[in-house]
Amino acid sequence: MNPSRPMPGLDRRQFLQRLAAAGLLAVPGAGLLSACATGGGGTTTAAQGQVSTTNPLGVATDAPLDVVIFKGGYGDDYALAHEAMYKEHYPQAQVKHSGSTQIAQEMQPRFVAGNPPDVLDDTGAQKIEYAVLVNDNQLTDLGRLLDAPSVDDPNVKVRDTLLPGVIEQGTFGDKFVILNYVYETYALWYSKPLFEKNGWQAPTTWDEMMAVCEKIKAAGIAPFTYGGVNASDYVIDLNLGAAIKQGGLDVVKNMDNLQPGAWKQDTVLAATQRLEEMVRKGYFMPGSEGLKHTEAQTAWVQGKAAFYVSGSWIENEMKGITPPDFAMTAAPIPVLGSGSAMPVAALRTQPAEAFVVPAKAKNVNGGVEYLRLMLSKQGGEKFAELTASVPAVKGATANAKKTPALESLSAGLAAAGSNVFSWQFRTWYSSYSTLLITETTNLLTGRTDAAGYLAKLQAETDRIAADQSIAKYHR
Amino acid sequence: MRHGKYRFIASFLAIPLVLYVVFVVSPYAQAFYISMTDWRGFSGQQNFIGLRNYVDLASDSRFWQAMGHNGLLILVVPLVTIAFALFLAAVTTVAGRQGAVGRGGVRGSRFYQVIFFFPQVVPVVIAGVLFGFFFNPDAGLLNGVLRVVGLGWLARPWLGDPALALPSVMAVLIWGAVGFYYVLFSSAMKSVPPDVFEAAVLDGAGRLRTFWSITLPMIWDSVQVSYIYLGIMVLDGFALLQVMLPVPGGGPDGSTVVVSQYLYETAFTGGRFGYASAIGVALCLVTLLLAVAVMRLTRRQQTEY
Amino acid sequence: MTLDTSAPATAPPARPQRRARRQDTGGASTGERTLGVFTHGFLVVWAILVAVPLLWAVLTALKTDNEIFTSPWSLPAHWQFGNFARAWTTANIGTYFVNSLIVVSVSVVLVMLLGSMVAYVLARYEFPGRGIIYYGFIAGMTFPIFLALVPLFFVVQNLGMLGTYHGLILVYTAYALPFTVFFLTGFFRTLPSALAEAAMLDGCSHAGVFFRIMLPLARPGLISVGIFNFLGLWNQYLLPLVLMPDSDHYVLSQGLAVLAANQGYRSDWSALFAGLVIALLPVLAVYVVFQRRIQEGLSVGAIK
Repeated sequence: MNPSRPMPGLDRRQFLQRLAAAGLLAVPGAGLLSACATGGGGTTTAAQGQVSTTNPLGVATDAPLDVVIFKGGYGDDYALAHEAMYKEHYPQAQVKHSGSTQIAQEMQPRFVAGNPPDVLDDTGAQKIEYAVLVNDNQLTDLGRLLDAPSVDDPNVKVRDTLLPGVIEQGTFGDKFVILNYVYETYALWYSKPLFEKNGWQAPTTWDEMMAVCEKIKAAGIAPFTYGGVNASDYVIDLNLGAAIKQGGLDVVKNMDNLQPGAWKQDTVLAATQRLEEMVRKGYFMPGSEGLKHTEAQTAWVQGKAAFYVSGSWIENEMKGITPPDFAMTAAPIPVLGSGSAMPVAALRTQPAEAFVVPAKAKNVNGGVEYLRLMLSKQGGEKFAELTASVPAVKGATANAKKTPALESLSAGLAAAGSNVFSWQFRTWYSSYSTLLITETTNLLTGRTDAAGYLAKLQAETDRIAADQSIAKYHR
Repeated sequence: MRHGKYRFIASFLAIPLVLYVVFVVSPYAQAFYISMTDWRGFSGQQNFIGLRNYVDLASDSRFWQAMGHNGLLILVVPLVTIAFALFLAAVTTVAGRQGAVGRGGVRGSRFYQVIFFFPQVVPVVIAGVLFGFFFNPDAGLLNGVLRVVGLGWLARPWLGDPALALPSVMAVLIWGAVGFYYVLFSSAMKSVPPDVFEAAVLDGAGRLRTFWSITLPMIWDSVQVSYIYLGIMVLDGFALLQVMLPVPGGGPDGSTVVVSQYLYETAFTGGRFGYASAIGVALCLVTLLLAVAVMRLTRRQQTEY
Repeated sequence: MTLDTSAPATAPPARPQRRARRQDTGGASTGERTLGVFTHGFLVVWAILVAVPLLWAVLTALKTDNEIFTSPWSLPAHWQFGNFARAWTTANIGTYFVNSLIVVSVSVVLVMLLGSMVAYVLARYEFPGRGIIYYGFIAGMTFPIFLALVPLFFVVQNLGMLGTYHGLILVYTAYALPFTVFFLTGFFRTLPSALAEAAMLDGCSHAGVFFRIMLPLARPGLISVGIFNFLGLWNQYLLPLVLMPDSDHYVLSQGLAVLAANQGYRSDWSALFAGLVIALLPVLAVYVVFQRRIQEGLSVGAIK
């Protein structure tokens, strides 16, 4: 699983010593020297405390805890609440909080120095790619978090408090290393009052989709918009979602497993051709290719476009600018036609907001304990209350104030039941992201057609499959 | 005396050299070493692989695409910037009022001199945000003005069109740079002794001819230095792109990817710091070659006055 | 980089004095007149291009988010001064501004002193290794900074200077040295040597000649390079990002980047523009007040 072996006789500490020596002595090619200067990283002995029923993970009660939170769509207020909970349990511990949007640049030197934070929310456009961290053995195996007793009921393991898909999403190979804390659901979003006023219906099939788009266009509104500058890949939920619903979970498993011809499966081609048809009929707002996602979403909430494809963070992200009577509502992606393997109500649920405990953290036990507290009833409710979003833990939104979006999502999830799916290829192989944005924009602007689009993605799949230096995963 | 001279030289060079070596040379030396490893950037694990990264680089089409864009940027941005700056400087400094070439600029020159420098004080991050919005196809200023003045058919999704994204970025770079070089060239022109111009005017030379045969040669050194400085600025035009077009792929259909952006993506998104370092070393070599080439090609006999 | 010692650098900058106007040479030709119309047109267009985006940013900062999108270039219906308060508190612009000012000012003074010492020695003395040192500095201008970021982090950390102002100042100084040396070496070469030789004969030491005679002569060049460096370091973003990880000590460019990055996740356009204007106006004001001095400073220094 890990193709990168340490150089014979050169361990991390020596490497750091050499870096340090090079820094102070400035000899070119210093890495070849056997250096004698002091090391940069030092040894890391994780803080250890007494295991007890109230402290099942053996947290050193006075060890400081360093938490770095991605300060994105959900802000970081919820993390402050979680940190307060930690302080309550371990009053002697100092908790250091930082919020950041530039995770990779700020954290990379700390990882190399062997001084990473104890809890890291590795999310956003500037995140450190998960595959990079996993392949470098930088993450703590969170298996013992899953087997630890939950905070609220010592007889129930944490594992059993999680929503479906959370463990799968965070597992690389055979290790659970990432806790994706937010239960994100991907859907077709629209303003309910706008649709009611015009007598439009959210489509359940692609024929209905084409029909309603035609009506919307006739009314002088663009049916869809998208953030072509940086986020056109949101739209892939339309074609890939439809393809997976039609053909079943095997369709997405073939993609994730880098199967030859995965992107040429019948349903994938059929669904992508319908998307291409929408482009040809002008159902995407002209000029969308020049918009960033927030700009496109702004145009959408202002009624210039009727639909937007996005994850469930959208309401929170647009909080300041959405008109009060907009009533943001989620609909599942329509199915291609009759005989689909999954019902119309099926949803892509993809837990996100990746919380990790770096393997070299000073307070690994404290970091894992922090995650356990996040997954408590109180932790989940705090998150739901502060962000109007669904955390990865069961029952957390029961008492939360229901915004229109949260309400429609809860109803949608209930209707979907066990018919949820997710894809892993983007998490496992980071090079897909760049390609998907570039090629989806090309498709949505008519610079390429469905066949050309899928050919590019298949070529990338074949390239990854053939590249020995890339670690492979399987589901 | 001789001994004193060397002691003096050593004492003047010691502190700056130590600073430079510790903070600049040594990190780059390490970066050069890293370019010969397969380091992923997050741990101490790395293998020495010699020149393999450089061999891979030679056949990396995205690298060459980015290099091509860099070449375009380096050709167009400094040339246009210098041309604009020279023109503006000439007309506000030495074009003179009618019949008085060489003495003072056209009417309103003082005003222009204040205004033109403005973009220089705008931080790159701000310029990026400002122009990202300026080019917004829907609510941006550019398309808005075009529609108001009846040129709506010219409105475009500027940053979303592969043919227009790079030129749009270039326009912003030029917008930001002209002011400084304008001031630089005006100052240089002001230092040309006025009798040189008077002689030219007596010989019956018009404005254009005065500019070509007198003004330009007189300030040639400034132009030369400007080209190098602009070239370096353009190669480092990463911050602007990062704010204006925050796309991993480098603009629509990869049409704006530049080397520094590709380097960044390779390092932070791809986790290939060894390879990224090789890209950086290659970029450095190209820049050095450029600087040398410009110095060689533009070397002229210094005009004595 | 040519050796030209005949330039009148000891004299005050040669400026075209506004002497009595010569009598007209008898009416300009048609070609000249066309050129005049074209010239004025271009000046006006460029002035508009330069000023309008900035004015527009100020106006936008005073609008509501909805107005920004629905009527992007009309005046705001109600002036939203609250945007500024919001930007001030969320982005901490005031504190970061002061941080930037401290770090950049000290760095600029330091780099001018050290840079001129190196440049003077390189320009005026023959000694073994001179070429290596000179080209060593030139090469430093060409490397992309973020390549050095990680190794640099360790250098600074090992010196115990991570997250400190003096650490950042030393790094800024070191990274500004190449251009400063490059620029000032050319400048010192053009200064006349006669004065220095005379002073030496009078018993002045090498250092004495530098500090008492050459440095004052080089003042215009120093001002130019000081302005170059100030603007360059004021914009510096990558170095503090890695070396100043503590958000209490952020410099302005970091604060602005956070503000801009937040737009990817929250749509508070008006506060973003307000933040930009807050960051921009003081610099613009300083420029307008001192513009004559700045332009004069650039004048002699830049052409050598």
